[in-house]
Amino acid sequence: MILPLGPIHPAFKEPLRLKLKTQGEKVLSAEIDYGYVHRGIERVMKGKTWQKSIYLSERVCGICSYIHTQTFAETFELISGETAPLRAQYLRVLTNELDRIQSHLLANSTYFKALEHETLFMYMLYLREPIMDAIELLTGNRVNMGWNVVGGVRMDAHESHLQQIKEIILKLESEYPKYVEMFEQGPLVGLRSHDVGKMTKEEAIKGRAVGPIGRGSGIKHDLREDHPTYRDYLDFKVIWRKEGDNFARTMNRFDEIPESINLIKQVIDNIPQGEVRKKVNIGAGYGEWRNEAPRGEVTYMIETNGNLINNISIRTPSIMNIDSCAKYMLKDAATVADAVATYASVDPCVACAERVVILDENEGKKEFQGIFNIK
Amino acid sequence: MLDALKDIVRKSSIHVCLINTGGCNGCDIEVVALLSPRYDLEQYGIYVHNNPREADVLLITGAVTEQWKEKLRRIYTKAPEPKVVVAIGNCPLSGDVFNQEGGSVYAPVSDFIPVDAEISGCPPRPSEILEAILAVAPGAIAAKGRQKE
Ligand code: SF4
Repeated sequence: MILPLGPIHPAFKEPLRLKLKTQGEKVLSAEIDYGYVHRGIERVMKGKTWQKSIYLSERVCGICSYIHTQTFAETFELISGETAPLRAQYLRVLTNELDRIQSHLLANSTYFKALEHETLFMYMLYLREPIMDAIELLTGNRVNMGWNVVGGVRMDAHESHLQQIKEIILKLESEYPKYVEMFEQGPLVGLRSHDVGKMTKEEAIKGRAVGPIGRGSGIKHDLREDHPTYRDYLDFKVIWRKEGDNFARTMNRFDEIPESINLIKQVIDNIPQGEVRKKVNIGAGYGEWRNEAPRGEVTYMIETNGNLINNISIRTPSIMNIDSCAKYMLKDAATVADAVATYASVDPCVACAERVVILDENEGKKEFQGIFNIK
Repeated sequence: MLDALKDIVRKSSIHVCLINTGGCNGCDIEVVALLSPRYDLEQYGIYVHNNPREADVLLITGAVTEQWKEKLRRIYTKAPEPKVVVAIGNCPLSGDVFNQEGGSVYAPVSDFIPVDAEISGCPPRPSEILEAILAVAPGAIAAKGRQKE
Protein backbone atom coordinates (compact mmCIF):
# COMPACT_ATOMS: atom_id res chain seq x y z
CA MET A 1 0.00 0.00 0.00
CA ILE A 2 1.20 3.51 -0.68
CA LEU A 3 0.72 5.78 2.31
CA PRO A 4 1.06 9.47 1.52
CA LEU A 5 2.01 11.79 4.39
CA GLY A 6 1.84 15.52 4.09
CA PRO A 7 2.25 18.14 2.75
CA ILE A 8 0.62 19.27 5.97
CA HIS A 9 1.24 16.76 8.70
CA PRO A 10 1.37 17.07 12.49
CA ALA A 11 4.99 15.92 12.64
CA PHE A 12 6.36 18.09 9.86
CA LYS A 13 7.43 21.62 10.46
CA GLU A 14 7.33 22.30 6.78
CA PRO A 15 5.36 21.16 3.79
CA LEU A 16 6.72 18.10 2.07
CA ARG A 17 5.15 14.96 0.73
CA LEU A 18 6.45 11.65 1.94
CA LYS A 19 5.19 8.59 0.10
CA LEU A 20 5.71 5.46 2.13
CA LYS A 21 5.36 2.06 0.55
CA THR A 22 4.03 -0.10 3.35
CA GLN A 23 3.10 -3.66 4.03
CA GLY A 24 0.92 -3.70 7.12
CA GLU A 25 2.75 -1.45 9.56
CA LYS A 26 6.14 -2.12 8.02
CA VAL A 27 7.65 0.50 5.76
CA LEU A 28 9.35 -0.94 2.70
CA SER A 29 10.58 2.18 0.98
CA ALA A 30 10.02 5.89 0.84
CA GLU A 31 9.85 8.56 -1.76
CA ILE A 32 9.99 12.29 -1.22
CA ASP A 33 8.23 14.98 -3.14
CA TYR A 34 9.62 18.48 -2.94
CA GLY A 35 8.66 21.79 -4.34
CA TYR A 36 6.21 23.28 -1.90
CA VAL A 37 8.42 26.18 -0.88
CA HIS A 38 10.33 26.86 -4.06
CA ARG A 39 10.59 30.62 -4.34
CA GLY A 40 13.31 31.18 -6.94
CA ILE A 41 15.76 33.04 -4.73
CA GLU A 42 18.79 32.62 -6.97
CA ARG A 43 16.93 33.93 -9.95
CA VAL A 44 15.89 37.02 -8.01
CA MET A 45 19.51 37.62 -6.98
CA LYS A 46 20.89 37.62 -10.50
CA GLY A 47 21.78 41.06 -11.77
CA LYS A 48 21.65 42.68 -8.36
CA THR A 49 24.34 44.17 -6.15
CA TRP A 50 25.37 42.40 -2.97
CA GLN A 51 23.53 44.94 -0.87
CA LYS A 52 20.32 43.95 -2.59
CA SER A 53 20.97 40.23 -2.34
CA ILE A 54 22.32 39.59 1.10
CA TYR A 55 18.95 39.80 2.76
CA LEU A 56 17.59 37.34 0.23
CA SER A 57 20.29 34.86 1.13
CA GLU A 58 19.24 35.21 4.74
CA ARG A 59 15.76 34.14 3.80
CA VAL A 60 16.81 30.92 2.14
CA CYS A 61 16.12 29.34 5.49
CA GLY A 62 14.86 30.93 8.64
CA ILE A 63 16.29 28.43 11.09
CA CYS A 64 19.91 28.70 10.04
CA SER A 65 19.49 32.15 8.54
CA TYR A 66 22.71 33.45 10.02
CA ILE A 67 25.21 31.20 8.30
CA HIS A 68 23.82 32.04 4.88
CA THR A 69 24.73 35.69 5.17
CA GLN A 70 28.12 34.84 6.59
CA THR A 71 28.90 32.53 3.70
CA PHE A 72 27.58 35.07 1.24
CA ALA A 73 29.75 37.81 2.70
CA GLU A 74 32.81 35.58 2.91
CA THR A 75 32.44 34.55 -0.72
CA PHE A 76 32.52 38.19 -1.73
CA GLU A 77 35.49 38.80 0.55
CA LEU A 78 37.25 35.88 -1.10
CA ILE A 79 36.61 37.24 -4.58
CA SER A 80 37.90 40.66 -3.52
CA GLY A 81 40.91 39.19 -1.73
CA GLU A 82 40.09 40.78 1.61
CA THR A 83 39.23 39.51 5.06
CA ALA A 84 37.01 41.03 7.68
CA PRO A 85 38.66 42.71 10.70
CA LEU A 86 39.49 40.30 13.50
CA ARG A 87 36.86 41.64 15.89
CA ALA A 88 34.22 41.11 13.21
CA GLN A 89 35.44 37.56 12.68
CA TYR A 90 35.07 36.87 16.39
CA LEU A 91 31.60 38.35 16.42
CA ARG A 92 30.69 36.15 13.47
CA VAL A 93 31.80 33.07 15.37
CA LEU A 94 29.80 34.20 18.38
CA THR A 95 26.60 34.63 16.39
CA ASN A 96 27.18 31.46 14.45
CA GLU A 97 27.54 29.38 17.60
CA LEU A 98 24.50 30.95 19.26
CA ASP A 99 22.57 30.15 16.12
CA ARG A 100 23.88 26.58 16.13
CA ILE A 101 22.74 26.08 19.74
CA GLN A 102 19.21 27.30 19.06
CA SER A 103 18.99 25.30 15.85
CA HIS A 104 20.15 22.07 17.49
CA LEU A 105 17.74 22.55 20.39
CA LEU A 106 14.92 23.15 17.96
CA ALA A 107 15.87 20.10 15.92
CA ASN A 108 15.90 17.88 18.97
CA SER A 109 12.62 19.30 20.18
CA THR A 110 11.05 18.40 16.83
CA TYR A 111 12.41 14.90 17.15
CA PHE A 112 10.91 14.51 20.62
CA LYS A 113 7.64 15.84 19.33
CA ALA A 114 7.68 13.17 16.64
CA LEU A 115 8.31 10.60 19.36
CA GLU A 116 5.38 12.06 21.29
CA HIS A 117 7.66 12.81 24.21
CA GLU A 118 6.01 16.06 25.17
CA THR A 119 8.11 16.65 28.31
CA LEU A 120 11.47 16.75 26.59
CA PHE A 121 9.94 18.73 23.74
CA MET A 122 8.94 21.43 26.21
CA TYR A 123 12.29 21.33 28.01
CA MET A 124 14.14 21.84 24.74
CA LEU A 125 12.04 24.89 23.92
CA TYR A 126 12.53 26.13 27.46
CA LEU A 127 16.30 25.96 26.99
CA ARG A 128 16.08 27.59 23.60
CA GLU A 129 14.28 30.79 24.55
CA PRO A 130 17.19 32.37 26.52
CA ILE A 131 19.46 31.71 23.53
CA MET A 132 17.00 33.57 21.32
CA ASP A 133 17.24 36.42 23.83
CA ALA A 134 21.01 36.36 23.51
CA ILE A 135 20.76 36.54 19.74
CA GLU A 136 18.33 39.41 20.02
CA LEU A 137 20.61 41.21 22.45
CA LEU A 138 23.53 40.92 20.08
CA THR A 139 21.92 41.55 16.71
CA GLY A 140 18.60 43.18 17.51
CA ASN A 141 16.50 40.48 15.93
CA ARG A 142 15.38 36.99 16.77
CA VAL A 143 15.32 35.18 13.47
CA ASN A 144 16.46 37.10 10.42
CA MET A 145 19.28 39.07 11.92
CA GLY A 146 20.78 41.08 9.07
CA TRP A 147 24.06 40.92 10.93
CA ASN A 148 26.65 40.39 8.21
CA VAL A 149 27.83 42.75 5.55
CA VAL A 150 30.63 42.23 3.08
CA GLY A 151 33.70 43.33 5.02
CA GLY A 152 32.50 42.69 8.55
CA VAL A 153 29.40 42.92 10.67
CA ARG A 154 26.79 45.63 10.78
CA MET A 155 27.50 47.07 14.19
CA ASP A 156 29.71 46.60 17.19
CA ALA A 157 28.67 44.57 20.21
CA HIS A 158 28.37 46.34 23.49
CA GLU A 159 30.67 45.08 26.26
CA SER A 160 27.80 44.76 28.74
CA HIS A 161 25.81 42.79 26.18
CA LEU A 162 28.66 40.37 25.79
CA GLN A 163 28.70 39.85 29.54
CA GLN A 164 24.95 39.29 29.57
CA ILE A 165 25.31 36.72 26.80
CA LYS A 166 27.98 35.01 28.83
CA GLU A 167 25.65 34.80 31.80
CA ILE A 168 22.94 33.26 29.64
CA ILE A 169 25.42 30.74 28.30
CA LEU A 170 26.72 29.85 31.77
CA LYS A 171 23.18 29.29 32.97
CA LEU A 172 22.50 27.00 30.01
CA GLU A 173 25.70 25.13 30.74
CA SER A 174 24.75 24.48 34.35
CA GLU A 175 21.26 23.20 33.53
CA TYR A 176 22.10 21.33 30.41
CA PRO A 177 23.43 17.91 31.58
CA LYS A 178 20.17 17.15 33.38
CA TYR A 179 18.16 17.21 30.18
CA VAL A 180 20.71 15.30 28.17
CA GLU A 181 20.68 12.60 30.78
CA MET A 182 16.92 12.41 30.55
CA PHE A 183 17.27 11.39 26.95
CA GLU A 184 20.43 9.35 27.21
CA GLN A 185 19.30 7.23 30.15
CA GLY A 186 15.55 7.36 29.62
CA PRO A 187 14.37 3.82 28.94
CA LEU A 188 11.42 4.66 26.70
CA VAL A 189 12.92 7.42 24.59
CA GLY A 190 15.99 5.26 24.29
CA LEU A 191 14.01 2.21 23.16
CA ARG A 192 12.34 4.16 20.46
CA SER A 193 15.61 5.67 19.25
CA HIS A 194 18.24 2.92 19.43
CA ASP A 195 18.68 0.93 16.22
CA VAL A 196 15.91 2.79 14.46
CA GLY A 197 16.58 4.40 11.08
CA LYS A 198 20.08 3.05 10.76
CA MET A 199 22.46 4.37 8.13
CA THR A 200 25.94 2.89 7.82
CA LYS A 201 29.04 4.92 7.07
CA GLU A 202 29.19 3.59 3.50
CA GLU A 203 25.59 4.58 2.90
CA ALA A 204 26.19 7.97 4.43
CA ILE A 205 29.11 8.54 2.05
CA LYS A 206 27.08 7.34 -0.91
CA GLY A 207 24.16 9.52 0.09
CA ARG A 208 26.53 12.47 0.74
CA ALA A 209 25.07 12.99 4.21
CA VAL A 210 26.60 15.99 5.95
CA GLY A 211 26.50 17.70 9.30
CA PRO A 212 25.28 15.92 12.44
CA ILE A 213 23.57 13.35 10.25
CA GLY A 214 26.81 12.32 8.57
CA ARG A 215 28.75 12.64 11.81
CA GLY A 216 26.19 10.44 13.55
CA SER A 217 27.04 7.75 11.02
CA GLY A 218 30.77 7.96 11.54
CA ILE A 219 31.92 10.57 9.05
CA LYS A 220 34.29 12.75 11.04
CA HIS A 221 33.94 15.90 9.03
CA ASP A 222 33.29 19.38 10.31
CA LEU A 223 34.07 22.31 8.08
CA ARG A 224 34.70 24.56 11.05
CA GLU A 225 38.09 22.84 11.31
CA ASP A 226 39.11 24.49 8.05
CA HIS A 227 37.59 27.88 8.68
CA PRO A 228 40.36 30.46 9.22
CA THR A 229 38.95 32.00 12.41
CA TYR A 230 38.25 28.68 14.10
CA ARG A 231 41.50 27.15 12.90
CA ASP A 232 43.79 29.98 13.95
CA TYR A 233 42.25 31.38 17.11
CA LEU A 234 39.84 28.94 18.72
CA ASP A 235 39.79 25.40 20.04
CA PHE A 236 37.03 22.92 19.64
CA LYS A 237 36.50 19.22 19.27
CA VAL A 238 34.62 17.57 16.41
CA ILE A 239 31.81 15.45 17.78
CA TRP A 240 31.02 12.23 15.96
CA ARG A 241 29.50 8.85 16.69
CA LYS A 242 29.46 5.47 15.05
CA GLU A 243 25.97 4.04 15.56
CA GLY A 244 24.16 5.85 12.75
CA ASP A 245 20.69 5.51 14.27
CA ASN A 246 18.19 8.07 15.50
CA PHE A 247 19.81 8.00 18.92
CA ALA A 248 23.23 8.81 17.49
CA ARG A 249 21.97 11.71 15.43
CA THR A 250 20.10 13.23 18.35
CA MET A 251 22.98 12.67 20.78
CA ASN A 252 25.40 14.14 18.27
CA ARG A 253 23.44 17.35 18.26
CA PHE A 254 23.22 17.27 22.05
CA ASP A 255 26.98 16.85 22.37
CA GLU A 256 27.79 19.63 19.95
CA ILE A 257 26.08 22.19 22.13
CA PRO A 258 28.71 22.10 24.95
CA GLU A 259 31.38 22.60 22.27
CA SER A 260 29.51 25.66 21.04
CA ILE A 261 29.22 26.91 24.60
CA ASN A 262 32.99 26.56 24.97
CA LEU A 263 33.58 28.45 21.75
CA ILE A 264 31.32 31.27 22.87
CA LYS A 265 33.18 31.53 26.17
CA GLN A 266 36.50 31.66 24.34
CA VAL A 267 35.20 34.36 22.02
CA ILE A 268 33.83 36.55 24.80
CA ASP A 269 36.99 36.21 26.87
CA ASN A 270 39.45 36.86 24.05
CA ILE A 271 37.65 39.20 21.69
CA PRO A 272 40.09 41.84 20.43
CA GLN A 273 39.25 45.52 20.20
CA GLY A 274 39.12 47.32 16.90
CA GLU A 275 37.09 47.90 13.79
CA VAL A 276 34.11 45.72 12.97
CA ARG A 277 33.64 46.73 9.39
CA LYS A 278 35.77 47.88 6.55
CA LYS A 279 35.15 49.03 3.04
CA VAL A 280 35.71 46.33 0.46
CA ASN A 281 36.23 47.11 -3.18
CA ILE A 282 34.39 44.24 -4.78
CA GLY A 283 36.57 42.48 -7.31
CA ALA A 284 35.34 40.75 -10.41
CA GLY A 285 35.49 36.99 -10.72
CA TYR A 286 34.23 33.72 -9.40
CA GLY A 287 34.39 32.50 -5.83
CA GLU A 288 33.27 29.49 -3.89
CA TRP A 289 33.09 29.32 -0.12
CA ARG A 290 31.84 26.64 2.23
CA ASN A 291 30.80 26.87 5.85
CA GLU A 292 29.46 24.53 8.45
CA ALA A 293 25.81 25.36 9.04
CA PRO A 294 23.96 23.69 11.92
CA ARG A 295 22.78 21.05 9.48
CA GLY A 296 25.94 20.49 7.51
CA GLU A 297 27.84 22.27 4.86
CA VAL A 298 26.47 25.15 2.86
CA THR A 299 28.22 26.26 -0.31
CA TYR A 300 27.94 29.53 -2.12
CA MET A 301 29.20 29.84 -5.67
CA ILE A 302 29.12 33.40 -6.92
CA GLU A 303 30.22 34.97 -10.16
CA THR A 304 30.34 38.74 -10.15
CA ASN A 305 31.48 41.48 -12.48
CA GLY A 306 32.69 43.70 -9.67
CA ASN A 307 29.31 45.17 -9.01
CA LEU A 308 26.42 42.96 -10.00
CA ILE A 309 25.99 39.25 -9.43
CA ASN A 310 26.13 37.43 -12.75
CA ASN A 311 25.46 34.02 -11.42
CA ILE A 312 24.88 32.50 -8.05
CA SER A 313 24.33 29.00 -6.86
CA ILE A 314 23.61 27.95 -3.30
CA ARG A 315 23.96 24.41 -2.06
CA THR A 316 22.38 23.65 1.26
CA PRO A 317 22.90 20.60 3.46
CA SER A 318 19.30 19.51 3.88
CA ILE A 319 18.83 18.29 0.37
CA MET A 320 21.53 15.64 0.77
CA ASN A 321 20.32 14.70 4.22
CA ILE A 322 16.68 14.35 3.23
CA ASP A 323 17.64 12.26 0.24
CA SER A 324 19.85 9.91 2.20
CA CYS A 325 17.06 9.66 4.74
CA ALA A 326 14.60 8.52 2.08
CA LYS A 327 17.08 6.17 0.44
CA TYR A 328 18.75 4.49 3.38
CA MET A 329 17.14 5.23 6.73
CA LEU A 330 13.52 4.69 5.77
CA LYS A 331 14.06 1.61 3.66
CA ASP A 332 12.81 -0.80 6.28
CA ALA A 333 11.40 1.05 9.22
CA ALA A 334 9.40 -1.21 11.51
CA THR A 335 6.37 1.03 11.79
CA VAL A 336 5.02 4.18 10.22
CA ALA A 337 5.50 5.97 13.54
CA ASP A 338 9.19 5.06 13.42
CA ALA A 339 9.41 6.37 9.88
CA VAL A 340 8.03 9.73 10.97
CA ALA A 341 10.45 9.86 13.91
CA THR A 342 13.36 8.95 11.64
CA TYR A 343 12.41 11.67 9.24
CA ALA A 344 12.32 14.16 12.12
CA SER A 345 15.73 12.97 13.38
CA VAL A 346 17.29 14.12 10.12
CA ASP A 347 16.38 17.67 11.04
CA PRO A 348 15.00 18.40 7.62
CA CYS A 349 14.87 21.99 6.57
CA VAL A 350 12.75 22.09 3.51
CA ALA A 351 13.01 25.78 2.85
CA CYS A 352 16.74 25.31 2.28
CA ALA A 353 16.38 22.41 -0.03
CA GLU A 354 13.96 23.80 -2.49
CA ARG A 355 15.74 25.72 -5.11
CA VAL A 356 16.36 22.99 -7.64
CA VAL A 357 14.20 22.80 -10.72
CA ILE A 358 14.75 20.50 -13.66
CA LEU A 359 13.29 21.41 -16.96
CA ASP A 360 12.56 18.52 -19.25
CA GLU A 361 13.28 19.98 -22.67
CA ASN A 362 11.27 17.49 -24.66
CA GLU A 363 8.09 17.69 -22.74
CA GLY A 364 8.53 21.20 -21.47
CA LYS A 365 7.68 19.84 -18.07
CA LYS A 366 8.77 21.47 -14.86
CA GLU A 367 9.87 19.15 -12.11
CA PHE A 368 11.37 19.59 -8.71
CA GLN A 369 14.10 17.07 -8.09
CA GLY A 370 16.47 15.84 -5.45
CA ILE A 371 20.22 16.12 -5.79
CA PHE A 372 20.54 12.47 -6.87
CA ASN A 373 18.86 13.00 -10.18
CA ILE A 374 20.94 15.99 -11.16
CA LYS A 375 24.31 14.41 -10.49
CA MET B 1 -28.66 22.65 20.86
CA LEU B 2 -25.71 20.50 19.89
CA ASP B 3 -24.42 23.29 17.69
CA ALA B 4 -24.68 25.79 20.51
CA LEU B 5 -22.76 23.49 22.80
CA LYS B 6 -20.16 22.95 20.11
CA ASP B 7 -19.76 26.70 19.71
CA ILE B 8 -19.15 27.19 23.40
CA VAL B 9 -16.57 24.43 23.43
CA ARG B 10 -14.84 25.57 20.28
CA LYS B 11 -14.61 29.12 21.53
CA SER B 12 -12.37 28.10 24.38
CA SER B 13 -10.55 25.31 22.61
CA ILE B 14 -9.07 26.66 19.45
CA HIS B 15 -7.34 24.23 17.15
CA VAL B 16 -4.69 25.66 14.93
CA CYS B 17 -3.22 24.37 11.70
CA LEU B 18 -0.01 25.90 10.46
CA ILE B 19 0.44 26.00 6.70
CA ASN B 20 3.73 27.09 5.20
CA THR B 21 2.88 28.11 1.67
CA GLY B 22 6.46 28.90 0.78
CA GLY B 23 8.24 31.10 3.27
CA CYS B 24 11.67 30.95 4.79
CA ASN B 25 10.67 29.08 7.94
CA GLY B 26 11.30 32.07 10.12
CA CYS B 27 7.63 32.57 10.84
CA ASP B 28 7.09 28.86 11.42
CA ILE B 29 9.73 28.68 14.10
CA GLU B 30 8.25 31.71 15.80
CA VAL B 31 5.00 29.77 16.00
CA VAL B 32 6.94 26.85 17.47
CA ALA B 33 8.46 29.29 19.95
CA LEU B 34 4.92 30.12 21.01
CA LEU B 35 4.57 26.57 22.27
CA SER B 36 7.53 27.01 24.58
CA PRO B 37 6.96 27.37 28.32
CA ARG B 38 7.69 31.09 28.12
CA TYR B 39 4.70 31.93 25.93
CA ASP B 40 2.71 28.78 26.63
CA LEU B 41 0.10 28.96 23.92
CA GLU B 42 -1.92 26.17 25.46
CA GLN B 43 -2.88 28.17 28.53
CA TYR B 44 -5.14 30.21 26.23
CA GLY B 45 -6.81 27.07 25.02
CA ILE B 46 -5.00 27.12 21.71
CA TYR B 47 -3.67 23.86 20.42
CA VAL B 48 -1.39 23.52 17.41
CA HIS B 49 -1.75 20.16 15.76
CA ASN B 50 -1.44 20.80 12.03
CA ASN B 51 -4.46 18.88 10.91
CA PRO B 52 -6.60 21.02 8.58
CA ARG B 53 -9.63 18.79 8.98
CA GLU B 54 -10.21 19.79 12.58
CA ALA B 55 -8.76 23.28 12.54
CA ASP B 56 -10.55 26.42 13.64
CA VAL B 57 -7.69 28.69 12.75
CA LEU B 58 -5.44 28.38 9.73
CA LEU B 59 -2.15 30.16 10.16
CA ILE B 60 -0.64 30.94 6.80
CA THR B 61 3.06 31.70 6.62
CA GLY B 62 4.79 32.24 3.37
CA ALA B 63 4.07 33.58 -0.06
CA VAL B 64 2.14 31.26 -2.33
CA THR B 65 4.41 29.15 -4.51
CA GLU B 66 3.65 27.34 -7.75
CA GLN B 67 2.74 24.08 -6.00
CA TRP B 68 0.46 25.75 -3.52
CA LYS B 69 -1.65 27.69 -5.99
CA GLU B 70 -4.36 25.09 -6.18
CA LYS B 71 -3.67 23.15 -3.01
CA LEU B 72 -4.15 26.11 -0.70
CA ARG B 73 -7.78 26.48 -1.67
CA ARG B 74 -8.26 22.72 -1.27
CA ILE B 75 -6.82 22.74 2.23
CA TYR B 76 -8.92 25.74 3.08
CA THR B 77 -12.12 23.95 2.10
CA LYS B 78 -11.10 20.93 4.14
CA ALA B 79 -11.27 22.91 7.38
CA PRO B 80 -14.73 22.86 8.93
CA GLU B 81 -16.84 26.01 9.29
CA PRO B 82 -16.51 28.39 11.07
CA LYS B 83 -12.87 29.04 10.40
CA VAL B 84 -10.46 31.92 10.69
CA VAL B 85 -7.41 32.59 8.56
CA VAL B 86 -4.49 34.48 10.07
CA ALA B 87 -1.67 35.50 7.76
CA ILE B 88 1.66 35.73 9.54
CA GLY B 89 4.55 37.79 8.30
CA ASN B 90 5.23 39.85 5.25
CA CYS B 91 5.28 36.84 2.96
CA PRO B 92 1.53 36.21 2.80
CA LEU B 93 0.81 39.93 2.75
CA SER B 94 3.06 41.01 -0.08
CA GLY B 95 5.43 38.21 -0.99
CA ASP B 96 8.17 39.97 0.96
CA VAL B 97 11.60 39.89 -0.68
CA PHE B 98 10.69 37.04 -2.97
CA ASN B 99 8.14 39.07 -4.86
CA GLN B 100 10.60 40.57 -7.30
CA GLU B 101 11.45 39.97 -10.90
CA GLY B 102 12.50 36.34 -11.23
CA GLY B 103 10.83 35.07 -8.08
CA SER B 104 8.14 32.47 -8.38
CA VAL B 105 5.64 33.50 -5.74
CA TYR B 106 2.03 34.49 -6.18
CA ALA B 107 1.36 36.63 -3.13
CA PRO B 108 -0.80 37.90 -1.56
CA VAL B 109 -2.59 35.00 0.00
CA SER B 110 -5.84 36.95 0.06
CA ASP B 111 -6.07 36.37 -3.70
CA PHE B 112 -6.64 32.72 -2.96
CA ILE B 113 -8.50 32.51 0.31
CA PRO B 114 -10.20 35.07 2.55
CA VAL B 115 -7.92 36.37 5.30
CA ASP B 116 -9.26 37.55 8.66
CA ALA B 117 -6.15 38.95 10.29
CA GLU B 118 -2.76 40.00 9.05
CA ILE B 119 0.44 40.49 11.01
CA SER B 120 3.34 42.22 9.35
CA GLY B 121 6.94 41.64 10.28
CA CYS B 122 9.67 39.43 9.02
CA PRO B 123 9.09 37.51 11.19
CA PRO B 124 6.67 39.09 13.70
CA ARG B 125 7.44 38.49 17.36
CA PRO B 126 5.74 35.50 18.98
CA SER B 127 3.71 37.74 21.25
CA GLU B 128 2.29 39.58 18.23
CA ILE B 129 1.21 36.31 16.66
CA LEU B 130 -0.45 35.27 19.88
CA GLU B 131 -2.20 38.60 20.17
CA ALA B 132 -3.58 38.34 16.65
CA ILE B 133 -4.90 34.83 17.14
CA LEU B 134 -6.58 35.80 20.36
CA ALA B 135 -7.99 38.97 18.88
CA VAL B 136 -9.84 37.31 16.03
CA ALA B 137 -10.34 33.65 16.79
CA PRO B 138 -12.80 33.42 19.70
CA GLY B 139 -15.03 36.21 18.44
CA ALA B 140 -15.04 35.08 14.85
CA ILE B 141 -15.80 31.52 15.78
CA ALA B 142 -18.72 32.63 17.92
CA ALA B 143 -20.06 35.12 15.39
CA LYS B 144 -19.86 32.90 12.37
CA GLY B 145 -21.31 30.04 14.32
CA ARG B 146 -24.40 32.07 15.15
CA GLN B 147 -24.84 33.26 11.60
CA LYS B 148 -25.10 29.69 10.48
CA GLU B 149 -28.07 28.84 12.64
S1 SF4 C 1 7.76 36.86 6.50
FE1 SF4 C 1 9.99 36.81 6.63
S2 SF4 C 1 10.41 35.40 8.32
FE2 SF4 C 1 8.30 35.04 7.69
S3 SF4 C 1 8.40 33.36 6.21
FE3 SF4 C 1 8.47 35.30 5.06
S4 SF4 C 1 10.65 35.73 4.78
FE4 SF4 C 1 10.48 34.22 6.42
